Amino acid sequence: MEVRMRIFRFNPEKDRKPHYDVFTVEAQPTDRVLDVLEWIRGDVDGTLAFRRSCAHGVCGSDAMRINGRNYLACKVLLRDLGTTEITVEPLLGLPVIKDLIVDMGPFFEHYKTVMPYLVNDELPADGKERLQSPEQRERFDDTTKCILCAACTTSCPSFWSNGQYVGPAAIVNAHRFIFDSRDQAAVERLEILNDQFGVWRCRTAFNCTEACPREIKITQAIAEVKRAIQTGRVE
Amino acid sequence: MAATTETVRRVKVKPNYEMIAWKWMRYSAFALIPLVWIHAILQDVVVGVHAMDLGYVAERWASLFWRVFDALLLGFAFAHGVNGLRQVLNDFIHGEKGRKILNWSLFIFWLAIFLIGAIALIGGVNQQFPLE
Ligand code: HEM
Ligand code: FES
Repeated sequence: MEVRMRIFRFNPEKDRKPHYDVFTVEAQPTDRVLDVLEWIRGDVDGTLAFRRSCAHGVCGSDAMRINGRNYLACKVLLRDLGTTEITVEPLLGLPVIKDLIVDMGPFFEHYKTVMPYLVNDELPADGKERLQSPEQRERFDDTTKCILCAACTTSCPSFWSNGQYVGPAAIVNAHRFIFDSRDQAAVERLEILNDQFGVWRCRTAFNCTEACPREIKITQAIAEVKRAIQTGRVE
Repeated sequence: MAATTETVRRVKVKPNYEMIAWKWMRYSAFALIPLVWIHAILQDVVVGVHAMDLGYVAERWASLFWRVFDALLLGFAFAHGVNGLRQVLNDFIHGEKGRKILNWSLFIFWLAIFLIGAIALIGGVNQQFPLE
């Protein structure tokens, strides 16, 4: 099949404004968007810039906007897009560095504010390991799946309009520790998120849940954090 | 160490205005379900806007129930709308000071309109009908 790739281009050293380049490519329906981008960069235009690393949906480096929706380019097959006209753009809401590469700095700054690491200053009872039942592990299993690709945060209209919002990805990663029975800093994290630009900026748009390539129930995780703050119960 | 099967913890998070505003957005939405439905069905369907005249208004005003009902509708719908508007305007206001001014202006706006409306509704018009 023949696909028409319309790709967002911006070279900060040359361009004053971004533009789109069109490439017509012969591809298989089972090729991924990433394969097509690789082919263009390798055989047609070596200046095309995009990030990728694992190419298997694990590292989270190739999140981008494909036909208006956030995906990992390595996880979308051409046939699943339902069209041969494909527009590829960088994530929205973060500054573009070059072509499809955005500055992830603001995203990781928000991530760092929620203490995304285990806090527990007590020694384990047996001096070796902190035990946890399967049920306790299950409680936060969904939010452990995050790969920090930023597809959710950059799909959120609240984040687009005001980048001070901590964003869904940071809340997901706070949730992952707040609901972990081994952790002791739930209150600190909830206090950080109990802020106008913490969870209260979420307006339940559900864009994040739709965008997540790991199918994390993000809006639900955010609601659980809101509930914990409102009720004073982490459960 | 025996691990329990559930993670249940009590946490004490200091309440702030954003947390209360969020909660009241939900409370007011719950209150609006009966208030708005009864209002819309009665005024627009059962009575109909064309059948509303001074006599109908006087009849409603004669009942304390409807006066309180309308004051509640005004208070909750307006609070809900203004707080929603605050959420929308915060998309565009990126400074701490601007947000403070916005919060206070909207609160005063809500309070003023609600008080004027509630006084008019519950206080009534100290005049005999028909008005001369
Ligand atoms: C049965 C009636 C209603 C219900 C159940 C309801 C429910 C809600 C809820 C739950 C939210 C919060 C959404 C979120 O941030 O997650 C909301 C937002 C909002 N509501 Fe209502 N509402 C009702 C009627 C109204 C009315 C009558 C108005 C206008 C006066 C209104 C204006 C708004 C606005 C402006 C927002 C904020 C939207 C935003 O954040 O972008 N609502 N509503
Ligand atoms: S390249 Fe690693 S997630 Fe797609």
